[in-house]
Amino acid sequence: MAERGDRGGFGRGFGGRGGGEGGGRGRGRGERRGGRRGNKSEEEKWVPVTKLGRLVKSNNITSIEQIYLHSLPVKEHQIIDTLLKGLKDEVMKITPVQKQTRAGQRTRFKAFVVVGDGDGHVGLGVKCAKEVATAIRGAIILAKLSVIPVRRGYWGNKIGLPHTVPCKVTGKCGSVTVRMVPAPRGAGIVAARVPKKVLQFAGIEDVFTSSRGSTKTLGNFVKATFDCLMKTYGFLTPDFWTETRFSNSPYQQYTDLLSKPTTKALLPPTEEPLQAEA
Amino acid sequence: MSGRISVPSNYLTLWCCYLLNYLCFQISVYLCTSGMGEVILGMPGQWAHDYREKADHYTSKIGGLPDWPDLDIPVSGKLLLCDLCGGKLCLMAQIYAPLSMAERSIDERVIYVLGCMKKDCGSNPQSWRVLRLQRCKQDIESKDEPLKAEQPEEESTSVAEDKPTSQSSSVKVCDDEDSDSDIDLDDLAQALEQAATLASNSKKQDGTKHTRKIVEGPVAKKLIYDLTTPVLPCFYIYSQRNSSEGRMDKANFVGGSSISLKEIEKSSGNESEGESWEGEAYEYDKALGADRTYLKFKKQLDAYPEQCFRYSYGGNALFPVANVPKPGACKICGSARRFELQLMPPLLYFLQEASDDSSNFSIDGWTWLTIIIFTCPKNCCSGTCDEKSGNSCRCIVEEEAIVIQDD
Repeated sequence: MAERGDRGGFGRGFGGRGGGEGGGRGRGRGERRGGRRGNKSEEEKWVPVTKLGRLVKSNNITSIEQIYLHSLPVKEHQIIDTLLKGLKDEVMKITPVQKQTRAGQRTRFKAFVVVGDGDGHVGLGVKCAKEVATAIRGAIILAKLSVIPVRRGYWGNKIGLPHTVPCKVTGKCGSVTVRMVPAPRGAGIVAARVPKKVLQFAGIEDVFTSSRGSTKTLGNFVKATFDCLMKTYGFLTPDFWTETRFSNSPYQQYTDLLSKPTTKALLPPTEEPLQAEA
Repeated sequence: MSGRISVPSNYLTLWCCYLLNYLCFQISVYLCTSGMGEVILGMPGQWAHDYREKADHYTSKIGGLPDWPDLDIPVSGKLLLCDLCGGKLCLMAQIYAPLSMAERSIDERVIYVLGCMKKDCGSNPQSWRVLRLQRCKQDIESKDEPLKAEQPEEESTSVAEDKPTSQSSSVKVCDDEDSDSDIDLDDLAQALEQAATLASNSKKQDGTKHTRKIVEGPVAKKLIYDLTTPVLPCFYIYSQRNSSEGRMDKANFVGGSSISLKEIEKSSGNESEGESWEGEAYEYDKALGADRTYLKFKKQLDAYPEQCFRYSYGGNALFPVANVPKPGACKICGSARRFELQLMPPLLYFLQEASDDSSNFSIDGWTWLTIIIFTCPKNCCSGTCDEKSGNSCRCIVEEEAIVIQDD
């Protein structure tokens, strides 16, 4: 398309506003949009798609805990990139998956990737693709989309930082069940090689595990461990017996119009009986 | 030509840009008339200087005020009001979408997408309205006339009033006079030549005449002084074909990954220490918050992260969720509506970025993931069209928009 080259000088979209005509007009909008010409890394080019993404990009949401508090689905991996900076990833396994076709076998690669920051956030991604590199990249993105918080507690004395699971939890996927039991400090992670990696990325230091079922299926085994970790925050312990103070979800909080948060949320819980958010 | 004024040089850049801008959309017209099934993306171009500035109905743009072409009957007020709250709708997108089908070609066809900015209406699909405006008759000899007739509309009042008739006839005379004007036309001449060659490469014969006419005219863009209608930040659109697979692999690159292929080989060597795993089966993509359909939608978006809309006449829409209501039937001819284009979320992001300083409207009320627009496949027209050649009617037909929310 010959006209693209000629058009490139002035209408290259928002990224390359270079010496574009907006600059001379002195409008703040033009400069702000074209302003980031210095560091053009991949993150800068993120154009958010979801409302949550727009809130994160504009720094209205600063911590991932706000997302977890309201159980908002995360649909863009750049959100996690922005909120969790120290996320590490590791490929656990790449297996070929074969399908028999008339023209022979079609082989695709399945990649298992676990991401985590070693401090209470872990994610697991599984992706099949025709090439190994594509599978790994895709699995990293899926793992970032599935990052969950992990609750840690104490085995006995509440000295120092939490180091183990708060209670006995069990997770299941397929025929595999994985049970995690609190362990004293220094016990280390007592688990098979594969769930041990997941638990290390989660930031759990000591735990006893026990598994049952066909743990030879890696996919089910690792997903059962992940499911188990998801349940740590779902378990109602006496710490959670006090009544919840509800707050506005970020979607309502950051609407431009003059909607004030409902008065019920602002009153201290002792004065009013528990009321659901409107 | 005593009425000609001398153009101060600081309007030169504006003029150049207006000219190039204008041409770009003339050219993009022909991209839109490509074959079925091909997807054309609307990518963001430059911002408008003033959000209320007037373009013409050949321009594809987002925001601003709608540019109605010469209408026999003006657009009825009811069409411009919100169904739910009764307030005025604002223009979300104006897309010039001519068609060239086997039996006839409709070159004057524009689609307007209007939405309501009030907080409650924004999330309700009934507040959106899509209008398709087209000229019904397309006789060959009358093709040239509409373009010429519209020139006086766009040119500002600085052009002398007694000009319209002479403009439509002898073009060459005007060009000679132009070269004698007070402007230093070095840059403009170059741009003109470029533009002329490009325009002459295009299908239409009178495209060349069209561009030259613009040069004589305006100094500044006309503003539409309609202060009652809410206005979104305005930017123009240029089109780009969707060239798929090569881009997508590049787009999938996740910066900052700590994995290299060598590590993979190492790890696959490690596991042969004594563990034997059972074979795995193929698994579809799944994440905690995103299902397979959404991930496919996102993959297409990641290929061109700035796409504002996808145009594919008669093609397939890109659905972010699995269950989408089917479009209805056209109210005039009864045939089932067909997909034409869909608006994409980067558009909201750009509008939000622009609206940071002015807070007299709220885009936060809009939380749609995509707005899919279905139009009548027969391009039927309401009302009666005259059979006389050269007398063509324009009609406005309301089409259907399906809004998919982002929950």
